[in-house]
Amino acid sequence: MMDEREDRLDEWVRDAARDYNAPPPTPRAEMWEAIQAGRRAGRVAPRPLSPFRTPIRFGLGIAALLALGIAIGRITVPSRTEAPASSPATTAQTSTQPVPDQPTLTATPSPGTRAPAPSNGDPRARGEVAALFATGDHLTQVETFLTEFGTRPPATDFAGQAQDLLTNTRLLLDSKRVSDVRTRKLLEDLELVLAQIATLNPRQRSRDLDLIADGLAQSHLRTRLRNAIPAGSAIRL
Amino acid sequence: MEPTSLVARVLAGDQDAERELYDSHVDRVYRLVYRMVGDGELAADYTQDTFIRAFDRLATFRGEAALSTWITAIAISVVYNGQRKVKRLRAREVDLEHADPVAAPAREADPDLKRKLAVAIEGLPEGYRTVFLMHDVEGYTHLEIGSALGIQEGTSKAQLSRARAKLRQQLAEYAGDLAS
Repeated sequence: MMDEREDRLDEWVRDAARDYNAPPPTPRAEMWEAIQAGRRAGRVAPRPLSPFRTPIRFGLGIAALLALGIAIGRITVPSRTEAPASSPATTAQTSTQPVPDQPTLTATPSPGTRAPAPSNGDPRARGEVAALFATGDHLTQVETFLTEFGTRPPATDFAGQAQDLLTNTRLLLDSKRVSDVRTRKLLEDLELVLAQIATLNPRQRSRDLDLIADGLAQSHLRTRLRNAIPAGSAIRL
Repeated sequence: MEPTSLVARVLAGDQDAERELYDSHVDRVYRLVYRMVGDGELAADYTQDTFIRAFDRLATFRGEAALSTWITAIAISVVYNGQRKVKRLRAREVDLEHADPVAAPAREADPDLKRKLAVAIEGLPEGYRTVFLMHDVEGYTHLEIGSALGIQEGTSKAQLSRARAKLRQQLAEYAGDLAS
């Protein structure tokens, strides 16, 4: 009896709710014109040159980072050759390593953990160390950028810097060396936020900023970013 | 046309494809946005903003959800953010109204049932209201709602059920009239 009454009430609510904020015909043409104008305004917005502007410079930066990582790997090799053959290859990760029988999703450690020492002359391990350093450094740069983005005046050229960081994020995501699932997820989320900043619409900046702030808060991006950055090991060129 | 090839054409700079994409989705977006905000000017503003963002970010569309769902997700995000600002502004206006002895009478004084329903819908928590409007009014499936709001299909069902229960509760005193 009660259910029947509730059903009838639900039915009435559904029917009556169709009149709630009943939409008029869509003003297609007017909105299309406004969209076109808004996009044109976004496209022509001048962007002052930043020190990170040219992709070549950034490419060189990434290359230099990778080279540095490889160099560090090479430097660490001789000391490892003196270690007993039975010594474990990893040190800091022993407490967090999964039990060997358990499946693991990670092929490389996340940059928040200490880099594994490369095995003797193993180029793959050296590449992973290099990727780890490059990722750690990139995440440090993004963290700095996001902090500045939240505190600096709006006139600062954030779009240009975001574009450059976006390029590096994509480069790292395209690298097979960066295979840690959490790091890749973090990079993907960062890619989205950086894309939002890079395409900030000058006309509706405050609304865009709200969206970006919400995105940062909802995905706990800052916290994840800080957790992913190796403590005290940021490499600056 | 396949949505993926339409997206590819837009990304390649094809102006006709942009318009085609807009035409394919604008009615659905505008209807939902209007239902959510109940104001033509705001609805147009949010819809424009949705498409500007959608075109700007189209390169990040990976086809994991339907394009319509992806655009709906942007629209909801735009509406939520915009409405927070509008609510803040309106709260200030309400403060002024309270100071004014000739302020308009409260909506609750209106005996009309549909008016009561409108007030009850307005009073729903944001998430419940969105799910109710999307499902019961605009006919979205729970799968679409889940994808657009970033929640599980089951959560969408639960929120709809709670929204209906709240509306029933709000309209309980009129239930006899409605049932007859």
